Amino acid sequence: MDYVYTILILIGLFVILASSFDLVIGHCGLISIAHPIFYAIGAYVSAMLAKEAAVPIPLAILCGGAAAFVSSVLVALPSLRVSGDYLLIASIGFQLGLIEFAKHIHSIGGAGGLTNIPPFLVNDYGRLSYVALVLAVAVLTVLFVRWLTHGPYGRMMAAMRDDELAFSMLGRNAIWLKVSVFAIGSGIAGVAGGLYAHYFRFLEPDQFGLLQSSAILTMVVVGGMRTTMGPVIGAIVLQILPQAITFFGLPPSILGPLQGLMFSGLVLFFMFARPQGLLAAPDIWAGRKAKAGEPRGLAKGGLADG
Amino acid sequence: MVDVLTVSGLEKRFGGIVVADNIELALVKGRVLGLIGPNGAGKTSFFNLVCGVVKPDAGSIVLAGQEINSLPIRERARMGLARTWQNLRLFQSLSVLDNLMLGPRAYCADNLFNVMLRPGHVTGAERDSRDRAYAILERTGLADIAQSPIRDITFGQQKLVGVARALMNDAQCLLLDEPMAGVEGQAYALIQRVVRDIAASGVAICVVEHNVAFIRDLCDEGVFMFAGKVLARGTVESLIADPQLTELYFGT
Ligand SMILES: Nc1ncnc2c1ncn2[C@@H]1O[C@H](COP(=O)(O)OP(=O)(O)OP(=O)(O)O)[C@@H](O)[C@H]1O
Ligand SMILES: [Mg+2]
Repeated sequence: MDYVYTILILIGLFVILASSFDLVIGHCGLISIAHPIFYAIGAYVSAMLAKEAAVPIPLAILCGGAAAFVSSVLVALPSLRVSGDYLLIASIGFQLGLIEFAKHIHSIGGAGGLTNIPPFLVNDYGRLSYVALVLAVAVLTVLFVRWLTHGPYGRMMAAMRDDELAFSMLGRNAIWLKVSVFAIGSGIAGVAGGLYAHYFRFLEPDQFGLLQSSAILTMVVVGGMRTTMGPVIGAIVLQILPQAITFFGLPPSILGPLQGLMFSGLVLFFMFARPQGLLAAPDIWAGRKAKAGEPRGLAKGGLADG
Repeated sequence: MVDVLTVSGLEKRFGGIVVADNIELALVKGRVLGLIGPNGAGKTSFFNLVCGVVKPDAGSIVLAGQEINSLPIRERARMGLARTWQNLRLFQSLSVLDNLMLGPRAYCADNLFNVMLRPGHVTGAERDSRDRAYAILERTGLADIAQSPIRDITFGQQKLVGVARALMNDAQCLLLDEPMAGVEGQAYALIQRVVRDIAASGVAICVVEHNVAFIRDLCDEGVFMFAGKVLARGTVESLIADPQLTELYFGT
């Protein structure tokens, strides 16, 4: 049963990651794949606060989210001020650099990893309570992303994706919008990191590298960008597939690379065969389609004297 | 005569091409200035310079008494500078109404703090701007297609949406880049009337247009531009009657 609970928790965490990543890359159109580093920042900050400073765990998890939020602003602001294209490079540099850096910091476990992270809920209320917590946060994240992207803030994201210059000419602040959405998505990833840390109780820098970037990207692309349920379906499918592969009893030295190949293969397959993903994105802002037979000319009355 | 926009000594060149050569021009409150000149004269570039899309090599741009040379595009818009684009630049994935909804100087969701913590406030502001958008759509004859996606409407209607979106700014100064190009004759009177009404409400307007009859019917005054230079200023009649300008316009 513990195995099932663990899978459910991983699915919940990846729903949070994929959904928040879709907010950044799908809805806001920001090209970055460094989402796992903000997951890592949330995980490490929360773990260290709880372990070394005895901060209550719920508060520690929120602080982890806040740390991810703030650090994402520091990465995004300078690069987005130059040009959108720099974000990809700056964020990957930040991701890989910080991972290498963390390997040399002994106080956070270095390359060997951070152990003995204080547990949360499980000892008192059992694993099922943690499953409930993670799934609740996952549902809230999906609903939050849907609410944000279907409201007036989402209208700005859609318009900016279409035409940033026209968007600015209306008085809207494109850089501020991009930095804000990047920070919101990264902050949510940070909360997911805290939830990870206090269940698995072990963190190592290498798990937040490019393999995880490609896993999250694959979930969003396979499920369907800019759809509410796409990242959810993507997270479920891509969490269960690798588990299924482990049943073949392959040695870990083959399993890791095989999973990486599987992610890249799926992304390539979907890019060519079904670029919209399993679910196609609805036109949130295109309004009602003109019904067949409805006059398409200028509205009557408007040109009365024309 | 209140100058809303004053441009002086404006210079810009792209490599060897001079698009602004010591331009001195003022847009007056309540008046419509026509800007005519052959292709490549620098008319659109003049709008781009005023809006901050292109940075001038020299010169000053003053909007309502404040020099705006160093302000980013969005700040100029928020001071009441609005424009349309020769190539439309509508938001293709948005409906007509949603294109307009983004147009007010202050948008309901500009402030993320309000979006997160004062949703009621944002909803109220959104309702107000929706009412304003419908009023403008009514006035431009677009109310019936408010919900249509941009790709489902005709090119002429798209031109009008561009104008309607610019009107959402409640601008002090409005720049229209070829509002008639590609528009069927039936919209002629509508666009004329809308632009006149806007000017009458105290907006300074500049219209670039190759349809000289349209400019003549609409504008109090015109300027003729060639190779980045303002060559002549006067009534549109006098400009089009000038044989030298006509020759420059049609080329030889
Ligand atoms: N960003 C740019 N970079 C380089 N050259 C440019 C740029 N913008 C405009 N030009 C050039 O400057 C000249 C003036 O262009 P502009 O668009 O201002 O002309 P226009 O008067 O609006 O012409 P039209 O009537 O055809 O719209 C053209 O030769 C154009 O190719
Ligand atoms: Mg032009």
